Amino acid sequence: MMRRKLSATVTLFVISCVFSNPCTIAEAMDAASLVRENFDYMRDETSVSTVEMTVHRPDWERVSVIKAWTRGEKDSLITIILPPKDRGNGTLKLGRNMWMFNPKVNRVIKLPPSMMSQSWMGSDFSNNDLAKSDSIINDYNHRIIGTETSEDKTVYKIESMPKLDAPVIWGMITIKIREDFIPIEEIFYDEDFEPVKILTFSGIKILGGKLYPTIMKMRKADAEDEEYTLVKYKSLEFSIPLKDSHFTQTSLKNPRH
Amino acid sequence: MNVKMAWRNIWRNPRRTLLTISAIAFACLLLVFMLSFQFGSYDAMINASVKIHMGHLQVQAKGYKENQQMRRVVSHPATVENILAKIHGVEAFTPRANAFSMVSSNERTNGVIVIGIDPEKEARVSTLKKLIRKGRYLTETDTDRILVGRLLASSLRVDLEDELTVLGQGLDGSVAAAVFKVTGIFSSGIDDLDRSTVHIPLKYFQEIYSMGRAVHEVTVVCRSLGDLPVTKQAVVSKINKLDEKPSLTALDWEELMPGLSQGIFMDLVTGLITYFILIMVVAFSILNTFLMSILERTREFGMLMAIGTTPGRLTRMVLMESTLMTLIGIALGIAMGCLVTLYFQSHGINIAGASEILRQYGISGSLYPKLSLLSASIGPGMVLVITFFAALYPALRIKRLRPVEAMAHT
Repeated sequence: MMRRKLSATVTLFVISCVFSNPCTIAEAMDAASLVRENFDYMRDETSVSTVEMTVHRPDWERVSVIKAWTRGEKDSLITIILPPKDRGNGTLKLGRNMWMFNPKVNRVIKLPPSMMSQSWMGSDFSNNDLAKSDSIINDYNHRIIGTETSEDKTVYKIESMPKLDAPVIWGMITIKIREDFIPIEEIFYDEDFEPVKILTFSGIKILGGKLYPTIMKMRKADAEDEEYTLVKYKSLEFSIPLKDSHFTQTSLKNPRH
Repeated sequence: MNVKMAWRNIWRNPRRTLLTISAIAFACLLLVFMLSFQFGSYDAMINASVKIHMGHLQVQAKGYKENQQMRRVVSHPATVENILAKIHGVEAFTPRANAFSMVSSNERTNGVIVIGIDPEKEARVSTLKKLIRKGRYLTETDTDRILVGRLLASSLRVDLEDELTVLGQGLDGSVAAAVFKVTGIFSSGIDDLDRSTVHIPLKYFQEIYSMGRAVHEVTVVCRSLGDLPVTKQAVVSKINKLDEKPSLTALDWEELMPGLSQGIFMDLVTGLITYFILIMVVAFSILNTFLMSILERTREFGMLMAIGTTPGRLTRMVLMESTLMTLIGIALGIAMGCLVTLYFQSHGINIAGASEILRQYGISGSLYPKLSLLSASIGPGMVLVITFFAALYPALRIKRLRPVEAMAHT
């Protein structure tokens, strides 16, 4: 009789833990784990998405529709669907290597290091931003420098400084991550700790089965509202099984939608 | 009276006087010639450098030089060219467009600057056509032909008739892509050009990069370096009257290639140090001569002082002697220096052995010294000042002489 009561108590205890507030789990985490969890939350095992990218400049604006497949932290395949003039242009990333494809010249070109700081497809994202997106996890030391509240959720402000010999181009990065691992803002600083680029996340809603920031805006710190790149997720699916052959140069030339 | 005495004293020992005068004259001749030569070679250096690519003057959008963004264009190059055609000091001009893009061969990919040129106008402004080492230059009808720098060609492992793919970003953000055949390989001796640029026809560039009629710069070559300031003034005032978006500005070679004028300045300073050393050597030898001449006239000075000549007057007389010699020497030196300089100014000096170094600056074998008021006066002026001070020391020693002892001196 006692045994049954005990096990009932234990069961109740376990159940209450499972359903307990995830806030306490995040609190207990340190900054590094927060960053990693955030990254994994955004990328998941695999993802397939369609986004609408708007590049806005003082005198013109360009809207493209792009399809992207990602696998783990390191691999991705991106191809442009619209506008028709740019259709078929794509980027393949495997680890730190990037290749570009252009249907008009029908060639796959490996990006040399000299082009890594150039803008990707004319946007405010650089090739580096895409290629080294996972460097935030391993190449930096993180610490929480503050908290704030937004929409009843705690937001942790994290300061990431590059490790001594890390091959990174930023002097510092600050990230604001919500307790449920959704990012709010990421600011990139140069070696003099002057802000260079600002990435903001908004439009948090359920997409692909979980809460996701469906709108990302990247702009230069001194550009105000005249120059920015806006990325809006139109569709998003996680953990779709993707074949290895999907992330190859052949696939880059002929992506299966 | 002093002057008469000084003059006669000089010629009491003609050989010594003539030697001193010759030393001074020779030093002045050298200085006039070498300074003229330096100035002349700077002019040649500047002209040769600007003719390789930059030009004496460029009309660009404001801010383009600091940040070569594609959209910082000269929207209506035809308007600018019309203005330039009417300015007297302008010899020739050419429009160009630039984009930093990827260029890849079968084996390699490099980030380079793709330059769109108007083949015919370019040939009148820059030496690009003459720098083609292999293959041929671009023609007006070429479209997908490309000129590659020699170092770049070897880095990409391409040769004539090989294909190169150009991939970049157009003015409107769209993808710019095209395939080209290598038509010519050039070598300018300037690393920046040979390693990091390719040239394609401007019309095709404008098509691929969605430029419309716009360009990034209109490069101008003036009739002579001396015409530049007036020409720039005229260009600036005319383009300020235009209402262009983005607004335009005119930059001269000093603003476009600050390294060149800094290099020249450094060379000038080094030269001046060398000349200063030369003058010091001459000054010391003159000092020696003056000192000797005064020391051996100790008895004479003693006697003069005994009959009432003040030491001050003696000092002045001695200084007058040295000044007279110096002035004769300088006058002779300047005259001969000018003659020699003018001779070579019209005939040129052929430095066959140093042609490799000259190739760096793009200068051909012959150099022409340039005589000017400045080059003819700086050197001799310095000689005058320094010899005066060299004579001062022995002259001041006279004050210390005591007549009785001096007269007994051997």
